[in-house]
Amino acid sequence: MLGLVTNIQGYSVHDGPGIRTVVFMKGCPLECHWCSNPECISPHPELGFIKSLCTRCGKCAAACPHEAIIGKAGALPLTIREKCTGCGACAAVCISEARIIYGKQLAVDEVVDAVCRDQIFYQASGGGITVSGGEPLHQAPFVVELLRKCRQAAIHTCIETSGFASASALRQVLANTDYLLFDLKHLDSIKHRQYTGKSNRQILDNARLVAASGVDVLFRMPLIPGINDCRSNIEETAGLLHALGKGKIELMPYHLFGKGKYESLDRVYRLAGISTPGEEHLLPVKKMFEDFGIECSISN
Amino acid sequence: MATASSLDEGLLRRIDELQLSERLFRLKDAMFSAGRKISVDRARLAMRSWMESEGEDIEIRRAKLFKDILEGVPIAIYDFDMIVGRETEHLVGAPVFVDQTGDVIPGLWEESDTPDNRGLFGALSKEEREVLRECSRFFAGKTAPDHVKKAWHSLVGTWAQDITDAKGSDPTPDSGYFPGITCRGMWEKILARGMRGLIEEAEAGIRRFKEMKEIDINKFYFWQSAIMVCQAMIDYARRYAALAYEMAEKESDVQRKNELLEIARVCEWVPENPARTFHEAIQCINFILVGRGLEAMYPILLGRLDQYLWPYFEQDVLNGSLTLERAAELLGSAITLWGMKTVLQVGTTQQETHQFSYSINSINLGGVDKNGNDASNELSYLILHMIGLLRMSSPTVVLNWHPQTPRQLLLKALETNYKTKGGIPLFENSDHVVESFISDGIPPEEAREWYSQGCVTPILPTRIDHNGSEGKGAINVAFILDLTLHRGVSQITGKKIGLDVGDPRDFKTFEDLYEAFKKQYRYVVNRVLWLGTVAQSIEPQHLRFPFNSCIAGPGCMEKGQDILITDANHSYGISDRAIVDTADSLMAIKKLVFDEQKLTMDELLHALATNFAGEGGEEIRQMCLAAPKYGNDIEEVDLMVREVGEFSASVIRSYQNPYNVPCKISREGLSWHYFGGLGVGALPNGRKAKEPLNDGSLSPMRGMDKHGPTAVLRSALRAGFKESYASCLNQKFSSSLMRSPESREKLATLIETFFKNGGQHIQFNMVDTQELLDAKAHPEKHRDLVVRVGGFSAYFVMLSPEIQDDIIYRSEFGC
Repeated sequence: MLGLVTNIQGYSVHDGPGIRTVVFMKGCPLECHWCSNPECISPHPELGFIKSLCTRCGKCAAACPHEAIIGKAGALPLTIREKCTGCGACAAVCISEARIIYGKQLAVDEVVDAVCRDQIFYQASGGGITVSGGEPLHQAPFVVELLRKCRQAAIHTCIETSGFASASALRQVLANTDYLLFDLKHLDSIKHRQYTGKSNRQILDNARLVAASGVDVLFRMPLIPGINDCRSNIEETAGLLHALGKGKIELMPYHLFGKGKYESLDRVYRLAGISTPGEEHLLPVKKMFEDFGIECSISN
Repeated sequence: MATASSLDEGLLRRIDELQLSERLFRLKDAMFSAGRKISVDRARLAMRSWMESEGEDIEIRRAKLFKDILEGVPIAIYDFDMIVGRETEHLVGAPVFVDQTGDVIPGLWEESDTPDNRGLFGALSKEEREVLRECSRFFAGKTAPDHVKKAWHSLVGTWAQDITDAKGSDPTPDSGYFPGITCRGMWEKILARGMRGLIEEAEAGIRRFKEMKEIDINKFYFWQSAIMVCQAMIDYARRYAALAYEMAEKESDVQRKNELLEIARVCEWVPENPARTFHEAIQCINFILVGRGLEAMYPILLGRLDQYLWPYFEQDVLNGSLTLERAAELLGSAITLWGMKTVLQVGTTQQETHQFSYSINSINLGGVDKNGNDASNELSYLILHMIGLLRMSSPTVVLNWHPQTPRQLLLKALETNYKTKGGIPLFENSDHVVESFISDGIPPEEAREWYSQGCVTPILPTRIDHNGSEGKGAINVAFILDLTLHRGVSQITGKKIGLDVGDPRDFKTFEDLYEAFKKQYRYVVNRVLWLGTVAQSIEPQHLRFPFNSCIAGPGCMEKGQDILITDANHSYGISDRAIVDTADSLMAIKKLVFDEQKLTMDELLHALATNFAGEGGEEIRQMCLAAPKYGNDIEEVDLMVREVGEFSASVIRSYQNPYNVPCKISREGLSWHYFGGLGVGALPNGRKAKEPLNDGSLSPMRGMDKHGPTAVLRSALRAGFKESYASCLNQKFSSSLMRSPESREKLATLIETFFKNGGQHIQFNMVDTQELLDAKAHPEKHRDLVVRVGGFSAYFVMLSPEIQDDIIYRSEFGC
């Protein structure tokens, strides 16, 4: 079975317990404005172009079988995204690696092999695999197989999910998962739709399903200044957590590390103007949660 | 010794809460702001002494020279000093060693008074410059390196100079670390007996001579010299005592007056007599280091500071006669003085870290006792804490890790790493080192006492180690591959240095090429080692170190023999460097030319000769870069590293000195990769001519480790380097991987896992790229930013732009 993977990253220390390898799956039904992995949204291989590395050799234009690149030696090439299929012909001739393809079809066993290589570090640290993305539940059959095989190899399994998936996909993955990182982005359905493109109804249903499943879960909230840090959202989120019988949340402060990737995809970064919240911003939110009786931590 | 379970948790908490005291802040600030200055006094005094002693025995002459210097150098006590003693009158000053290096001071003969690139000689007055020129003129042709070079020339013509110019081996006689003898002070003995005790030993020797139980006049001269230098050390301390009394007399501030009186009393007692208190012990060590630093410029090694200082700390602090705060201040003062000790590096190494550099100088912490039990104690934590507070890049600190090292100590060490932003301490696997010594026939209880020479090279307090060019030094393995590809001719200098091992275009298989490399390697290594042996026998005819023999030469006093005179108690260290560049290059040739036949040998050689600049050159370079690279957990290339390492070791280890002591291989890095790279043409791994080689001995090619730190560690474990006493693996981490205690727990696990699986050494560069860029643009805002270059720490703003760029470039994990 094949899955579309953008990256496998060893020594990840902020995505679950211990030292972990994070597998980034490509494809996500949401389009959150703050997404820091925009190359993981489309469910197809995609061209990335890093302008600063381009030597303007013109070879990419000549190599493109779809006439999707306008360019010649000495000029910065222009990609016509509508014509680009992500076939990778241009990346293959780009010696400066200015053109890269996000997303590679990998067999489950290839991924398992890459993950298993760090077994000595997992054992010592209580770490393992974390499947992230993108939305791992979007490629549920692949992820189920991947997690099952990791478990067979005695590797601790974790997923990072938006919760936006069918209940059946979630149930299958849950059965092979030791630990969940579950995002609660906004409790207001209209705001949720405005900033992620989808309603939060299914997500909230799935949050209940997860809470009832007995699988260890940590709810997390990306903290986006001016979007989801208002008192009412904090209060509602706290209320939901109480209803789920979960007394803990982790805040993930918004950051701009992904901005360059939007440029590489010729996509517009929609959150321009918002900066990373500092302690002066985070601590009051933390306090609000605590006032509502929810233990609150801030991730690195 | 304290074990993990017997640590005083309350004391550890109090250590964690200690802040930088006002005095330490002022001391550090003053020393950082002062700028480093050359002092000509030592050179002047050495010249006068050498003129006067003409015709006398060499040992006696060197003892008189030491005495004359210690009597004549200016001294000073600053208002923030509690520990006193500096080699020069400057806050941070470098004495000059023309009596040992000869006429090789860069820029000295330039007539213009305009400051050179770093204002090195520009700060000197015309008169001072003239003093240095006079001394250089006087010593020219008289020093040990001069004589060695003359002998080399008579044996091999210009070859020794040619390989030096081509950066094929290092260090050279000119580098200032010649001779490269490195021993730590025999601190336990010095602290317990004082200089008076050493004098008594020498007197006993002289009595034996007079009773005709000893008949060698050289021994008599040695013991006479020993008495002279130990007494000179005592008198030097008394000069400080007198100055402190004098200053106390005039001091109106009562508190400072009392401090000066205390300083005076301490300096009257040590180093003459056994240290009785923590304060006296630290002051004694500092005096000895000053004396040592005025006799020779080679590394001063503190060794296992938390072990030999422990009895004094335990007695004073645990029993309450000294407050923890006061102990911390004394220790912090000493560490600041030791860390800022400066030498004027001359000759070949100037380009790597400029002409001033901090003395190679190291402290080892933790480790095991003679019986193999954990030796760490509360003082280990205090030393780490003070270095974190002071953010010192020097001295180098090594944590001797072993399986029983408390997790708590590892976490404290990582906290210090985070605070210094510079990988202090670095981590070294004590078990591997001990096993290496044992396999060379050293008894385990002796092996467990190892400590580091400067960065990672382990040495024993019971042996005398040679690591300079007369100890054979370092060999540039990539340079030898370069010679192999070009019929023995250096691509940089155009001179023929190696053998003509055939035209690579005629090689039919990869094995043909590899055999040619091996032949070339044996030839060059044989010559380097042979000339080293020659140097070693010439050098004691022209140079002796009586003071260092007394305080750092195990067995010297008993034998009546100078530390430079070799016997079976001496060992020899060789560093075969740039093995990763060599293996990556061999792998690229194997893949591209032989296995996949994507290139002909002619095309590859043409691309190398044109430095990848000709037609299609860049494409060939990209093919070379795309070939498998060490550091990505790729078996075949990792095994190539292992093969080259094992082969090199087998050649070097086949040579023994006349006392049947095999050469000890230790693959440290320092910042040599930059310097060594200057001598190597374009390589088949895709590196361009004169670019830096890989830093450290087991770090991947820069920018070529694409799969994160765990893949690098797996590659390092596969490459093994078991044949080497030490290796050097530098990892640059974003500081975010260090900031929180949780991240530090994970990093501690990474280190433990690496070491438990056979890893030897790891150190972290913990600086954000953004910060480095900012430091480059605005050095004034980042004066104390510490970075590591190879096994060596430096203040970032003091590095040359090339090395700054190199550090910025290094692949950054976790961002």
